[in-house]
Amino acid sequence: MLRVFGHLFMALAAIVVVLPIAVVCSAALNGGRTMYFPPEDPTLARFTEFFVSEPVWTRALANSVIVALGSSTLAVLLAWPICYRLWKSGSRHSATLAALGSIPFALPPIVFGVGLGFFWAFLGGLGSIWAGIVSHAALFLALPLVTISIGLQAIDRAHLDAAATMGATDGVIFRTIVLPQTLPYTISGFFFALVLSFNEFIVMFFVSASAFATVTLQIFNSLRNGYTPTMAVAAVAFIAVSIAVFSAVARWGDLPRLMGADQSRH
Amino acid sequence: MSVVGHPEPAMAESPRKARADAVQAADDRGALGHRFLRAGVTTLIWCVVLFLCVVPLGLVVAISFGHKVEGAGWEWAFTFENYYRFLVGANWPAETTFLYLTQLYWSMRYAVVASVLAVATALPFTYLLTRQSRRAQARWLVFLLTSLSLSEVFIVMGWDIILSNNSGLPVLFSASGLTDWMKATGWFDVLRDWGLASPRNVKFKTSEFATVLTMSYLVWPYAVILLYPALSRLDPSMAEAARTMGARPWTVARTVILPAVRLPLMGTALLLFVFLLGGYVAVTVFADPAKQTTAVSVFEHVRGSTLNAPFGAAQSVILLVTAAAFLVLGQRLSRRSEGAS
Repeated sequence: MLRVFGHLFMALAAIVVVLPIAVVCSAALNGGRTMYFPPEDPTLARFTEFFVSEPVWTRALANSVIVALGSSTLAVLLAWPICYRLWKSGSRHSATLAALGSIPFALPPIVFGVGLGFFWAFLGGLGSIWAGIVSHAALFLALPLVTISIGLQAIDRAHLDAAATMGATDGVIFRTIVLPQTLPYTISGFFFALVLSFNEFIVMFFVSASAFATVTLQIFNSLRNGYTPTMAVAAVAFIAVSIAVFSAVARWGDLPRLMGADQSRH
Repeated sequence: MSVVGHPEPAMAESPRKARADAVQAADDRGALGHRFLRAGVTTLIWCVVLFLCVVPLGLVVAISFGHKVEGAGWEWAFTFENYYRFLVGANWPAETTFLYLTQLYWSMRYAVVASVLAVATALPFTYLLTRQSRRAQARWLVFLLTSLSLSEVFIVMGWDIILSNNSGLPVLFSASGLTDWMKATGWFDVLRDWGLASPRNVKFKTSEFATVLTMSYLVWPYAVILLYPALSRLDPSMAEAARTMGARPWTVARTVILPAVRLPLMGTALLLFVFLLGGYVAVTVFADPAKQTTAVSVFEHVRGSTLNAPFGAAQSVILLVTAAAFLVLGQRLSRRSEGAS
C-alpha cells in the first residue's frame, strides 16, 4: 500500500516537473506568430528560423555557445591547480583559496551581477563578449572546483605510494595516475559549468550592458512584447543540450557519486 | 575500494611523504627555477581569484556609500544616505516611507514560503529516490539536472503560458465547466477572497500563489540534489529495525528518518532561501506591482529607468546582509539543536 503511494508520489512529482517544460516545447510547433497551447497549425518552420534564417537568434545562439565554451574551459583551467594544491598539501592556504573561488556561486546571483557590472565598467570591458566569458568563469568556478576535488579524493592512495616507491617523479605520477583517474570528474565539472552558463541570465544581463545578447537575454528582452514560438524553439534546443550532456556524464562519469551518494551501497 | 571508503588513515601519512618526495626531487635536479615557477603560478592564481571573485563584491559595498549626482552618474563618497533612504525614505525626517522595507519584506516572504514548500515536498521524494536502484537513480538525476539547469526565463515562460488568462488553466477551468461548478458551490468566492479570481473566471496572474509556485518549482530540483547525499547515506537498517519492532511507517518517518536528516534539511532550506532572495524573472512576471521585491528594485536602479547605482548597490548589500543573517541564525539554531540531542 505504502509502496503504491510512493510510486504515485514520484510520478506526480515527475508530471509537475515536466508540465511547464512540455508546454514550452509544444508551443514551439505553433504555425502562427502567437503561442497557443495546444499548438495550432503545427509546423517545424520555427526551428529553421531559430537555427538558420533569423539573424537575431542565430547571433544570440553563437554568443551563447562562445560564452559557454569559453567560460567553462577557463573555469576548469583555473580550478585544476587550486584543487591539485589543496589535495596535495591540504594547507589552510589552498583551502581558503578554494573557498574564495566558491563565493560567487554561493551568493544571490543578482548581487554578484551588480558587482561585475561595476567591475567591468571600471576596467572598460563592459559589453564585450570576453568580459562575459570571464564573468561566467568566475561565477561557475565552484562547479569544477567541487567535481575535481571529488575526483582527486577518489584516487587510491596505494597507487600513488606504489608509484613513488618505484621511483616515479611527481610529473610522472601526475601524468600516469592522477590525470587519467580524474579525467571523468574534470569533464563533468566542465559540462556542469557549460550547461549552467548556457542558461544563466542575471549576471549576463549586467555584464552585457545590452551590447550583445545571449539566447536567454534575447528571450528576456522579447518578454515584454509577448512570447513567440521561436523562443520556445530555443527552450527545446537548450533542453536537448542539457539532456545530452547530463546523460553523457551519467554514462561515463559516476553521477550518483558526484551528487554525493553513498558508495558502499549499489 | 576499502581505501576509498576509509581515506583518513592513508591520507594522514602520504601527503607529507609526497611533499617530502617532491622537495627531494626538486633538490635533486637543483631546479631553483622550478620552485620559482611554482611560486609564480600560486601567486597568479591567488591574484586571479581575488580579482574576479572578491573585488566585484568589494565594489558593491564601496559604491553603496557613494553619492548620486542629479542628472549625471554618481561620485565616490562616504555617506549613509542610501541606507537611510532604504530604511526610512529619501525625504526623512520630513516624511517617512517604508517602501523599500516593504519590498524587502516581500523578498523574504516569497523566499521563505517557496523554499519551505520546496524542501517539504522534496524530502519524501528524495527519500523514495534513494531507495531505488543505482541505474534508476542515475536516470532520475539526469532528469532533475536537466530541469535544474533550465534557465529561469524558460521556466517562467512555461508557467506563464499555463497560468495566464488567455490560455492554459483559466481557459481550461471555464471550458470544462469547473468555473460554473465552483460558482454554484461557493468555492469561487473563496478563491476571490484569496485574490485568485476575477469576477468572471479564475485568475492566477498576478498573484502571490503563482509567484511562490514558480519560485518553488525553480529550486525544487536543487532541494532534491542537496538532500540526496544525506538521505542516501541514511542507514536503512535503522528504519528496518524500527519496522520489525512494529512501528508504523509514519512513526518511523517521524522518529527515525526525520531526526537523522534535520540538519541537512535546515541547511537546504537556507541555501534555497539565499538563492531565491535574489530571484527576479518570476517576480516581475507574476507578482503584483505593489508586491515587488528588493531584487526588482536593484534592477531598476542599476540598469533600469531610475539610474541610481549607489542606491542599487546599497540594496544589494542589504540583500547580502539579510542572507548572511539568516545563515548565521540557521547555524545557531542547528548548533543548539545538536547540543540538545
